[in-house]
Amino acid sequence: MKTNFCVTIVSICLLLATAVLTPPGLSMAADDSTVDFLDDEFYDSELTFDESEDPLESFNRAMFQFNDFTYTWVFNPVATGYSHIVPVDIRGSVGNFFYNLEEPVRFLNSILQGRFSDAGTVLVRFLINTTGGVAGLGDPAGRELGFEAIDATLGETLSVWGVGDGFYLVVPFYGPTTLRDFSGDMVEGLALSPYYYWADGFEEVAAIYLGKELNKLSLHLGEYEDMKQLSFDPYVALRNGYFQYRKRIRDHNIPLYDE
Amino acid sequence: MTSKNVCDRSSAVGPVKGGPVKVHMKYYLAIFAVTLCLTPFVFHGTARAVSPDPTEQLRPFLDRIVAELKSTEFKQDPSCQQCQRIVDIASEHFDFYEMSKRVLGKQWRTLSQQQKDQFVTLFTRLLQYAYIGKVEDYIDKKIEFDRQRIKGNRAEVLTQLVDVNKTIPVSYIMILKGDKWMAYDIIVEGVSLIRNYMEQFRSILRDEKFSGLIDRLESKILELENENNQQETTAGEISPTPDAG
Repeated sequence: MKTNFCVTIVSICLLLATAVLTPPGLSMAADDSTVDFLDDEFYDSELTFDESEDPLESFNRAMFQFNDFTYTWVFNPVATGYSHIVPVDIRGSVGNFFYNLEEPVRFLNSILQGRFSDAGTVLVRFLINTTGGVAGLGDPAGRELGFEAIDATLGETLSVWGVGDGFYLVVPFYGPTTLRDFSGDMVEGLALSPYYYWADGFEEVAAIYLGKELNKLSLHLGEYEDMKQLSFDPYVALRNGYFQYRKRIRDHNIPLYDE
Repeated sequence: MTSKNVCDRSSAVGPVKGGPVKVHMKYYLAIFAVTLCLTPFVFHGTARAVSPDPTEQLRPFLDRIVAELKSTEFKQDPSCQQCQRIVDIASEHFDFYEMSKRVLGKQWRTLSQQQKDQFVTLFTRLLQYAYIGKVEDYIDKKIEFDRQRIKGNRAEVLTQLVDVNKTIPVSYIMILKGDKWMAYDIIVEGVSLIRNYMEQFRSILRDEKFSGLIDRLESKILELENENNQQETTAGEISPTPDAG
């Protein structure tokens, strides 16, 4: 418990530092424009990336190599073995269970971002899945009742409140992120998510994190290899994919229907 | 991840079929008059009201590709002649020229016609691996047509690739050419394939110029071909009996 407390304090300090260090103007990849693939202006915008936003590129490339190595030689084999032993529906339930435990944090973030209808959806999902889904193992709210999963992180909350990204960051065992989002995730994970909070000491926190990520990986085997095989510079491909994906899930006004 | 994208099908089905086009009457009349005079030139602008349905074109097209991949000939001979047939089918609704143009962005205009052709040929072959290679994953999955959106002569058709435990949203971005909807980008889980290559090519073009890009494309294609051939031989060694039977 004591270690956790220390780590929490450290991450909150980190977060405050981020807020101070990154003026709102420095937000990456034109956060404000809407994702519309039918709009040529959006398409041709020399979009994603200005090299100055990856000032730590050489460090990040080294971390990318490190993650690539551990992925190829440790996590991928282990996750593959695990996927052979544990059936896919059980792995799905494990994923659901963790996801459900994080719903209260998502609820809080939705509120802080002023997305009240999404907050309601998250709350309904949590209540239904915790009871009807047997402690979150199933996802009847999404599957049967059409309450889609909502994404809301502290990183996004900070961005809504005007904190900039800082810079792009590749973190060992964690992957692509930015200074702001990583700080947000640390605070979320260590101070707000119940399963880390209840853990005794750093070893348990690490074990839970690895277990959770391994389970997630077992459901996405082969995707990273495909990406790597087909790209000319996997580092750039992953960085671009990270920003594109993030922009899309954080754009809550995406036009989806025929007008 | 697992529970995402489970959409409310009942509401998704509704607006798919061509809804009424809201155009002010005056505006409509003006367009009508202009159309009469310039029919061949303004086809794209007004084709909207009578344009074919993108989903209706994409559905049988994807069915054909998947059927081709499932066919026994393809399984026995996965690298070669069949591929050409698949590329031929793919060219019916994939606009490789448009993709090449977009992936190079502003650079495209600086190229000579010969360079453009060379690039289109190579990029098409790369995409053949990037997309057709992946289509093999489609075999044991189900493609669900979710909804579509039309804006002028562009359309986005959102499909869901449904597996046992995950659903991947795949969008086809299309442009209307004549009476055919041609795809010029594929968005997988919010990530545009073309825009992803665009950023990679940008730095190659900056550091190694156009000739460098061509070299990189050629070596990548060679690498992918070799890998495919290797997979084929190992697969043959492991299971010779089922093939014979």
